Amino acid sequence: MRKASYSVTRIQRHGYVFILPTLIFFSVFLIYPIISAMKLSFFEWNLLGPKIFVGLKNYKKLIADTRVLNSYWRTLHFTVVSVIAINILAFTFAIMFSSTLITFKNIWQSFIFLPVILSMVAVGVVWEYMYQTTGLITIIGRKLFGVTIRWLTDTHVAPYAMIIVYVWKTTGYYMVIYIAGLLDIPQSLYEAARIDGAGFWGRLFYITIPSLVNTISLAVISCMIFTFGQFPIQYVITKGGPSRSTEILALLIFKQAFEFNKYGYGAVISVLFFLTLFFFAVIQLKIFKSSAR
Amino acid sequence: MKYMVNPRTGRNIQRGLLYTILVIVCFVFIFPFLWMIFSSLKLNKDVLALPIHFFPRVWNWKSYYNVFFKFPDFNFPRYILNSFIVTFFAVLLCLFFSATSGYGFAKYKFRGNNILFTIILSTIMISFSVIIVPLFILIRKLGMQNSYAGLIIPESLTAFGVFMMRQFFYSIPDDVIESARIDGANEYLIFSSISIPMAKTALLALLIFHAQWVWNLLIWPLIVISTPEMRTLPQGIALFKGGYNTPYPEQLAVSVIACLPLLILYMFLSKYFVQGITMTGLKG
Repeated sequence: MRKASYSVTRIQRHGYVFILPTLIFFSVFLIYPIISAMKLSFFEWNLLGPKIFVGLKNYKKLIADTRVLNSYWRTLHFTVVSVIAINILAFTFAIMFSSTLITFKNIWQSFIFLPVILSMVAVGVVWEYMYQTTGLITIIGRKLFGVTIRWLTDTHVAPYAMIIVYVWKTTGYYMVIYIAGLLDIPQSLYEAARIDGAGFWGRLFYITIPSLVNTISLAVISCMIFTFGQFPIQYVITKGGPSRSTEILALLIFKQAFEFNKYGYGAVISVLFFLTLFFFAVIQLKIFKSSAR
Repeated sequence: MKYMVNPRTGRNIQRGLLYTILVIVCFVFIFPFLWMIFSSLKLNKDVLALPIHFFPRVWNWKSYYNVFFKFPDFNFPRYILNSFIVTFFAVLLCLFFSATSGYGFAKYKFRGNNILFTIILSTIMISFSVIIVPLFILIRKLGMQNSYAGLIIPESLTAFGVFMMRQFFYSIPDDVIESARIDGANEYLIFSSISIPMAKTALLALLIFHAQWVWNLLIWPLIVISTPEMRTLPQGIALFKGGYNTPYPEQLAVSVIACLPLLILYMFLSKYFVQGITMTGLKG
């Protein structure tokens, strides 16, 4: 008996071998950089000269820097509006596809999914043309509503121009997640509801949504984390303009560090960025753990 | 009796309505892609000309030839090759890390299993944009800037993959592994010849997830790569577009070509994509 349990423990130790490579690489290339960003945020450094300890100077500058604050709110705005739009659309499409009235579901679904696999940069190129003054979207807007919207030059509109591209690009992915979630709801629940005389809305609010609470919260939070770090659409289409109205955080960090060579300052912004994501992630981890068991 | 709607008519109205919405929605979703293809075949002066034509007035195939040969600063074949190399190895490494550690966490009860898994999982919140500055400094210190390794290694790490594979390996019964052990197989043989083949669907799902991400990633190559011949495709296109006087159809032609490999991959693997989400419980 004793001997058996000894050899079982020995077998279990092989687990370390399996996780070791991952553990090493994650520590070096993901966890260490976060710690070193925190350290770097107390220094002034352009990578070539000496590293100068400046204490809280970068942080003080950060708090007073309207460019960073602007960027932070722009990012939050971009994230919140996009996440709400994406999830509502994805959920609606998933519900639509659960209808027995539709045939060839796979083909229809792959149309909505198509933008997900397209290259973000490629997509940015074509949307930029469509947003131009003589571009397709502007012209359609003028023909249909009689107003000329300056998609890329009006500071109030440009952020929404970015959101539209992102929502179009991402919705299909979350639709697939919701479809998978819907498949898991036992049909017997719906049959019972039908016998009780529940209509479409009754079934939606009393069965579908409550059964999908985990799926929905997981989708929303991972969508927030991805969206918050978004970069290519703004980089390709507007470079942050007009008047910094689309200068999201990732773009600002990129510019500070790699165009202006202010690595320490770039690191401070990263720390601010990280703390925000940390907040999202604490919530996400709770959900993951409750579903992972 | 006369004012009662025939139930079949009611269903047909519903169906008609649903299909109308469906057609409009799908049209909106595929339209920009079609627009990209057709505009890439227009003449430069026609791309933004009024009145708008959906199909090219003159079919101009030359842009697809030009992008390969006519722009000395734009080494298109090389960018495609670079993107293939980086995507191939980053995905391969990602599958290796995710499969081994997912298996380790799911099938072995060693001390610290839970805490180590939590640490790895918590890196899911580290968006790439957050670590670009310190990661670049690290890569530079390791002498890997402007190299394939500098692109591949950071792009191969995803906590999402580890989580996905762990969820999958949880779902396969321990008995299979136990009986192989009794037959005298060692742990690594069991892993490679029994567990991995069972995980085929999950691995293919992860493959397309991750290939999509690596192939399209822009920010990291922009930072790490400093010489033109090392550029990846998204980076090449972004700089090509920003370049002086690049004709529109050529910009769109490279965009279309950049989308093709993933479209082809997806055509073959789409069913694994959905199955992967369903069976690994990523939906929560």
